[in-house]
Amino acid sequence: MAHLLREKGFNTFVIVGGLTAWRKAGEPLEAVPKNDLVKLPTFS
Amino acid sequence: MELLHLMARHGYALTFGLLLAEAIGVPFPAAIALVTAGAAVAAHTLWGPYVLLAAVVALVIGDTVQFWLGRYMGWLLLGFLCRVSINPETCILRSAESFYKRGKFTLLVAKFIPGVNTMAAPLAGSMKMRFWQFLRLDFAGAMIYSLAYLGVGYLSRDFLKALLRGFHTAGLAMEAVVLSALVVYAVYRIVQYRRNYMFRIVPRVQVQELAARLASQDADKVQIVDVRSHGYYDEDASRIKNSIRIEPNNLEEEIKNLPRDKDIYLYCT
Repeated sequence: MAHLLREKGFNTFVIVGGLTAWRKAGEPLEAVPKNDLVKLPTFS
Repeated sequence: MELLHLMARHGYALTFGLLLAEAIGVPFPAAIALVTAGAAVAAHTLWGPYVLLAAVVALVIGDTVQFWLGRYMGWLLLGFLCRVSINPETCILRSAESFYKRGKFTLLVAKFIPGVNTMAAPLAGSMKMRFWQFLRLDFAGAMIYSLAYLGVGYLSRDFLKALLRGFHTAGLAMEAVVLSALVVYAVYRIVQYRRNYMFRIVPRVQVQELAARLASQDADKVQIVDVRSHGYYDEDASRIKNSIRIEPNNLEEEIKNLPRDKDIYLYCT
């Protein structure tokens, strides 16, 4: 995806290790906003 | 022929083991084992009720394990199972919605549908189906599946023998096919490697480097973007502070919301 965005003119970078590395480094996180959560059906 | 002999010698254990393997997610077509066992029953080398018992118990045990994994691991397990698909996120959504739409009785026929057979039990767990209800439907589904393929094997014993003899004769041809498949696979891996190598031109940054930039006066030139293909299904999901999400399945539209005057830092899990 980074490559595709770069082709479209965005100056993109990839964070090495992703969210796992960010969390391990103790950098700040936030809860995903309720609106962004994907609602999947449940039987209960 | 060896398959029939093997089934005659270790039929019950083999049926149990192969069906358990399939039920816990090993990509093995257990229907073949059932058809062969059915042929062995027709030849009076195995006793039908015991084979059926071995098959149903194996399927129910494997599915129960998957059900509880789905219940406690939530969408993580489905994400893992979906990784073999081209698009993990749509795989989870599509499976869940299809399962929900078609109702709980999907469990009765799920074992006949490749892909759905692996997903059904963990989906039932993730979607909070009551365990006893799951167990009843899964037991019925396992019975239908086992009886159907055992019946096919039972009725087509002679045909199966001829087929296996044919396979033996065609052994050399099969070797050539396997060899060709290996060559095609090797070429595919080389092409993939070259494509991935091309993608490495995208600069990569360490967490510390980005954190330092965010702490500097340059922070307003940074936009962190979450491109995880899944991970947005659990209430306690978290992400990098002040990041935004790009929906990977809707890239063309999402791009319109991305700031062109900032450096875009992408991350996934």
